[in-house]
Amino acid sequence: MFLRNYWYVAASDFEIGRKPMRRLILGEPIVFFRTEDGTPVAFEDRCAHRHLPLSMGKLVGDTLQCHYHGLRYDTTGTCVRVPGQDMIPPSARVKTYPVVQRYHWVWIWMGDPALADPAKITDYHWLDDPNWGAKPQYLHVKANWQLIVDNLLDLTHLAFVHETTIGNSALVEHASVKVQRKEDNVVVTRWIIDQPAPPTFVKVGGFTSNVDRWQIIDFTPPAFLRLDVGATPTGTGAPEGRRVGGISMRNLNAITPETESTCHYFWGQAHDFDIHNRETTDKITDQIRTAFLEDVAVFEAQQVNLELIPNPPQTDINADTGVIQARRITDRLHQEEQAAAAAQRVAAE
Amino acid sequence: MTAWHRVASVSDVREGEAFPAELNGVAIALYRVDGEVHAVDDTCTHEFAQLSQGFIDDGTVECPLHAAQFDIATGKCLSGPASQDLRVYPVRVDGDDIFVGEPD
Repeated sequence: MFLRNYWYVAASDFEIGRKPMRRLILGEPIVFFRTEDGTPVAFEDRCAHRHLPLSMGKLVGDTLQCHYHGLRYDTTGTCVRVPGQDMIPPSARVKTYPVVQRYHWVWIWMGDPALADPAKITDYHWLDDPNWGAKPQYLHVKANWQLIVDNLLDLTHLAFVHETTIGNSALVEHASVKVQRKEDNVVVTRWIIDQPAPPTFVKVGGFTSNVDRWQIIDFTPPAFLRLDVGATPTGTGAPEGRRVGGISMRNLNAITPETESTCHYFWGQAHDFDIHNRETTDKITDQIRTAFLEDVAVFEAQQVNLELIPNPPQTDINADTGVIQARRITDRLHQEEQAAAAAQRVAAE
Repeated sequence: MTAWHRVASVSDVREGEAFPAELNGVAIALYRVDGEVHAVDDTCTHEFAQLSQGFIDDGTVECPLHAAQFDIATGKCLSGPASQDLRVYPVRVDGDDIFVGEPD
């Protein structure tokens, strides 16, 4: 199941250049390249003539030339040259996608192009904000995208999957959790008061005594999870909004479905301390990557089971509240999209 | 003769929020609806989720997991997937203290 009328992260900005790049998004093969002035462009990655991926071709100026018979397409996806003939068949065109570069990522609109408003791009400014340090990352995951959404909305797993990095038992056994839901948004707030800091926090924050730790998870559909996380020495006022003497980070996740069973996982860990120190950014990113690779092992193992036993019954526990509310929003939005698409088809007939 | 137990201060229980408490080892939750304090079981009769983690709206609480709805004042199950009602407990407010009565 995919939601279509959304901006998704398609690539890191540096991945797209003058060499055409193929990537599957929502099951659609897409070729990305940049024009001579650096503007990113996205087409369906299939020549209108005999279906070869256009990503196997090459750029000639601002046109993309198919590797097979040399048809050339301009940036609007219109064929402008058929070798050996003067006339160009009107059907010789490929679908194009709206793309926008923002926050070191290239975003793609997968729905009705008429609705593609760049103002709807989810805010990830921490990735290129001079007041934060960050280094955007990518992981390819052989699992359904919603398994990652579930994972990030229930951080009790940190105590078990990530006990060597960002987790400890305090966040399950000594936490107060609140789930707020709005029409298209879920926020899960967890406070862990006067408990030991987990290993990563000790490493990067230098804590020597107990801390007050927060995790504020914001879910925005389809799969944007922005986590406000951090800790301060206990009793210094963080729960009341006074964050001093500790560390604050944004764990930023944007998951883009590749197929129903694989996805592109774009993420970054922004930090508000030692922001110009590349070593600090690297150290933090490495710690989180270690943890995320532990998650990927979980996702891929879940996926294997879910393919062997599709739609099995499952048990829900208290910690699933955020997960369930988010899935309910996603299901509703999917139904709305399906209904709108059906109405459009009827109107067209 | 009802045995009364102090379970909260008056200021603990606010409109639109749940206050989880314990009565002889049983999880209960206190709510304030239109100024009045109510005490009901805090465990959903369907899959045993903690109802005080759920969503309060117009005198009802919705289970955080499977959206069963209960009337806070009467404990009545208003919609599935639960079918059993919640037990309600008598509440007595004395000065700053809230007491809940043990069921017979």
